[in-house]
Amino acid sequence: MKPRWRFYLIGFLVLMGFDTLSQLCFKLAALHAEPFAADPAWLLRVAGSPWVYGAIAGYLGAFVTYMSLLKHAPVGPAFAASHLNVVSVLILSAWLLHERLSLPELGGAVLIVLGILVLASAEQHDGHAPGDA
Amino acid sequence: MTLVTFIAWLSVMVFDTGGQLAFKAAANRGGGDGMAHWRAMAGKPWLWLGLLAFVAEFVAWLAFLSLVPLAEGVLLATLNMVTIMLGGRWLFAEKLTPRRLLGVGLIAAGVILVGVG
Repeated sequence: MKPRWRFYLIGFLVLMGFDTLSQLCFKLAALHAEPFAADPAWLLRVAGSPWVYGAIAGYLGAFVTYMSLLKHAPVGPAFAASHLNVVSVLILSAWLLHERLSLPELGGAVLIVLGILVLASAEQHDGHAPGDA
Repeated sequence: MTLVTFIAWLSVMVFDTGGQLAFKAAANRGGGDGMAHWRAMAGKPWLWLGLLAFVAEFVAWLAFLSLVPLAEGVLLATLNMVTIMLGGRWLFAEKLTPRRLLGVGLIAAGVILVGVG
């Protein structure tokens, strides 16, 4: 069977997009509902924030995308590759929320991208291993 | 690590690994494409088991993080990449090729670094 690297590339980028949307919306919903307290009033403020519905939509989109990827992708590499959102959330939190990135965070982001490039090359090199239905 | 912390960590591992493997079983077994695939998945227990494990994992993760600092929590939880890969080999005969091991290892190291940083 032909390697499905194009299907994987698009699929994991879409997954990253939905995951990032969720995380960003959660952060904005939390800011909207400040100050935090474990009480019903805080929950009401969260539910009244439009952002929390963006977060839920992102979760649903990510779920549908991940299940579609798992139809073909082996679960071990797929689960690891789904951590690409760590990188996109770091970049967006620095850019949009002006959070400062530490050196280990930058190094970690580079390692995650490297790992995903290696997994992509594994799909091309090792092809469609038997059992990866 | 106290016994309670260990049990919380073990719960995170079991629910996360079990959930991912259930999702893979659901995606594998559903026949057809598009909506037909989703109907087939919804008719089998695997998808629902996976979602149940996801909710349980969320609770276990909150409990675990209330017991350990975030950096330590991420460090210990990243082992799930290994258990899920081994589970995939065991249940679905997924090959552990050198490139796949290297790729997953780099991602795990990266996630730990971000967690510590």
